[in-house]
Amino acid sequence: MADGMLLEMDGVTKRFGGLTAVNRFSLGVGAGEIVGLIGPNGAGKTTVFHLLSGFHPPTEGAIRFKGASIVGAKPHAICRRGLARTFQIVQPFVNLTTLENVMVGAFNRTDEVTAARARAAEVLDFVGLGARRDAPARELTLPDRKRLEMARGLATRPELLLLDEVMSGLNPTEVEEIIGLIRRIHAQGVSLLIIEHVMRAIMALSQRIVVLHHGEKIAEGPPEAVARDARVVEAYLGEDA
Amino acid sequence: MVAEVLGAVALGLLLAVPPWLPPYFLEILISVLLFAYLGSAWNILGGYAGQFSFGHAAYFGIGAYTSTLLFLRLGVSPWLGMVAGGGLAAAFGLAAGYLSFRYGLRGPYFSLVTLAFAEMLRVIAVNTKAVGSSLGLVIPSREAAPWSFVFGGKLPYYYVILAMALGAVWITRRLERSKLGYSLRAIRENEDAAEAAGVDALGMKLRAMALSSFLTALGGTFYAQYFAYIDPTITFGPAVSIQGLLQAIVGGAGTVLGPLLGSFVLTPISELSRAAIRGRAGVDVMVYGLVLILVISFLPNGLMGWVRRRRA
Repeated sequence: MADGMLLEMDGVTKRFGGLTAVNRFSLGVGAGEIVGLIGPNGAGKTTVFHLLSGFHPPTEGAIRFKGASIVGAKPHAICRRGLARTFQIVQPFVNLTTLENVMVGAFNRTDEVTAARARAAEVLDFVGLGARRDAPARELTLPDRKRLEMARGLATRPELLLLDEVMSGLNPTEVEEIIGLIRRIHAQGVSLLIIEHVMRAIMALSQRIVVLHHGEKIAEGPPEAVARDARVVEAYLGEDA
Repeated sequence: MVAEVLGAVALGLLLAVPPWLPPYFLEILISVLLFAYLGSAWNILGGYAGQFSFGHAAYFGIGAYTSTLLFLRLGVSPWLGMVAGGGLAAAFGLAAGYLSFRYGLRGPYFSLVTLAFAEMLRVIAVNTKAVGSSLGLVIPSREAAPWSFVFGGKLPYYYVILAMALGAVWITRRLERSKLGYSLRAIRENEDAAEAAGVDALGMKLRAMALSSFLTALGGTFYAQYFAYIDPTITFGPAVSIQGLLQAIVGGAGTVLGPLLGSFVLTPISELSRAAIRGRAGVDVMVYGLVLILVISFLPNGLMGWVRRRRA
């Protein structure tokens, strides 16, 4: 894999008992890149995120972030190194306020409550949740919870942010807003690896797309090329198509 | 503003009134504050970090036995023994916590393991002659000697436990506004999400465990000095563990004042119903149980939850 890669997965396999969720998978994300990770349901995309963020150890293979192995590191240690993630099924701290939720992420870079609060308020304004800062997270709507997931990840000051279906369940207007938000995050110098089923969004955002099917990479390249790839079309439409 | 005035008035009353109270009421007030203190110590781990220990008696007992044995065998002042007991309890808590958390015990499994650790210590104490086995240890009555944590009359004990309870409230307030406090609440809400946001869940839970067990042990020393008698069932038995967590849960787990409020409601009910219903063994416990059922049914977030709703 080329030098200067922020994130490298090299021949990574993850087996759960007899089930191989991810098989000899390699993936690179360069500094400043936006990479899309797509594939049909059950392809192993979220497993890839769990592997990258330290929730699952790989069965085989190497994972390097900024040149150093992160295999075996705990999730918080990986976050500390600058690799943050969101969850597909949003995981807010429901009894904390929106601001407090994001402060927890901000403490990744500071021990001071005032500094964490300032950082959290800044990030909430950035994602457009500033007006909801004192609301308990349990009162947020789904679109706002998606923003909160992103805000909590951003508050940790990542160099690479993994976004797991932050647009699922949103209406077209909300999707447009999130696309704009992702572009602004990227403009701040954060590299992104994005799992998304909203094709319009992933095609518009990604500089490169990796396609996962049955745990294996079946295609990789610029969005237009991937969209025309026969194996990709087959994977999405089914083997009989 | 209203809260500050109420707090100042309550503090003034707690400081000024007790010298004029009849001994019986002073005893109740000492119990109220001791249980409030134990509830506050439990609250750090159980209320803020959401790790429901059923075995805080382990730390209470370690505190009581450490200071008492150091005093009886070596003549060490219980004030120093108190700190030693706290240190020992924190070390035991860290070991028990590490074993439980390291292997991913959460929820009821963690609770059961803590209960088992406390029971283990109780059985060891019962079977160890050197610590008085099931007969326990008596601190011989003697002249008042403040340096030996022995006072003439109940009033000085009252002020000691008042200072301890206020200290625990102060520590909880500091905790709530610290990185540790935010991290613990995040862990309580969702440990995986907290980890993903950079929270070292194991490290933070162990810190909560150390602080909570240290404080609980100080309460054990106070108990030993105040009653001048300890035995394995009183100090290591499940009743102590339950007492601490009840105050916190009824008052409002994970709130600064919850345990204090809980104890001011629960402890007098317990004491007064026992006094009022003499001769019918167990009826007082039934009354107490009924109050608990009512509180838990109608105030799921404890008394503090109710106070907050009224103010909102």
